[in-house]
Amino acid sequence: EFAMSRRYDSRTTTFSPDGRLLQVEYALKATDSAGSATGILASDGVVLAAQKQSSSKLLATPRQSEKIIRLDDHLLCVVAGLNSDANILIQSGRLMAQRHRYRFQEPMPVEMVCSWICDYKQWYTQHGGQRPFGVSMLYAGWDECHGFQLYKADPAGTYGGWRATAIGENRQGAENLLKNEYEETCNVEQALELAVKVMSKTLDTTTPTADKMEFTTVTRGEDGQVRIHQLTEAETEALLARVEIAGAAAGDA
Amino acid sequence: AEFAMSIMEYSGGAVLAMTGRNCVAIASDTRLGSQAQTQSTDFEKCFRITDKLYVGLAGLATDVLTLSAQLDFKHRMYRLRENRDMTPKTFSAMLSNALYAKRFGPYFCEPVVAGLNADGSPFVTCMDLIGAPVDTDDFCVSGTCTENMYALCESLYRPDMEPDDLFETISQCLLSAVDRDALSGWGGVVHVITAEGVTTRRLKGR
Repeated sequence: EFAMSRRYDSRTTTFSPDGRLLQVEYALKATDSAGSATGILASDGVVLAAQKQSSSKLLATPRQSEKIIRLDDHLLCVVAGLNSDANILIQSGRLMAQRHRYRFQEPMPVEMVCSWICDYKQWYTQHGGQRPFGVSMLYAGWDECHGFQLYKADPAGTYGGWRATAIGENRQGAENLLKNEYEETCNVEQALELAVKVMSKTLDTTTPTADKMEFTTVTRGEDGQVRIHQLTEAETEALLARVEIAGAAAGDA
Repeated sequence: AEFAMSIMEYSGGAVLAMTGRNCVAIASDTRLGSQAQTQSTDFEKCFRITDKLYVGLAGLATDVLTLSAQLDFKHRMYRLRENRDMTPKTFSAMLSNALYAKRFGPYFCEPVVAGLNADGSPFVTCMDLIGAPVDTDDFCVSGTCTENMYALCESLYRPDMEPDDLFETISQCLLSAVDRDALSGWGGVVHVITAEGVTTRRLKGR
């Protein structure tokens, strides 16, 4: 399938004869082999889950999540792909969000941040000599206009709003599972439990543990303030235990 | 009737910060004017950066608002990158740098920073409009009635006051000082910062 395409690889500005931008597709392939992550929209919040990867025991424990990253107080992104590319996008996203706050004295709407970063990514698919960003991203947050939202964006800069989706390794399997089991009326707790199932599937494990996956929720407190909470190790273990019990009970029934 | 005055006195205002025992207080009046004409009586000049760090800005109102928005921007970016808040010392250095960056077209603002260090000890500092800092361990003042505020602080201040005592002292200093200044007053707001949190109280002026 790719035999002829080698001639059209070297410049992202060139379409192949069958109308494809091969560099962009290769970039997407790069993200598909990255650590998996999933996002699920609940009625009262958004749940994000990501694989915790550690290539070596000698690696120092990261102080913050390497995949689920804050862009502002009301807004997070999840990255799958080249971390160095992701850092550039994150930094410019954070800067844009603060510039918006400065100009308009209010938080930047979630979709606007997503769309701005996508425009930034798109530039690299239409100018010669530069490769696209090898990152797929999920954006999750809350704003006054549209409430809780979840977006997915690919290296080409295409984005869409999702109720539940996945990026990274085994995302097809994850997406199938979500298609079958996602319910729009779910709450954050139910979404968390579904996220455990999804991550267990993408990591291909029947015994999920807190050192392999992490969970973050976006909700609103009683005072209306957006609350971003990364589940502690203890909370994660409790969640995994709840899902195991539910699974065992269902198995027995 | 119009009369010429310094641009630093156009809006009017007074800001005052004082250290206590493991606590710090920062206060401002709430008047906003266009020279002699009062425009607002609830224009606060103290801004929260974190629960342990406040900055008070006295001077031209538009610069007070712009500079506080800029400081908020800079601190939020720092916090996102570093995953921790700025220390008062670092914040002051950043503020000083931000003011000097406009050395030949400055913000008409003389800030006062009040916060708690990581070990709980109080921190106050103030600087001129182009960022020259003054680190002291007792109190800092800024605005259109600094002579009045200095006189009152020198008389009433004692080191190591507890939060309630600190509140009383700083309030008396502020209210009495602004009473003798036509361009400041119309009430006040006081924030007392301790390890447990911030207590904000409004003062009734005349």
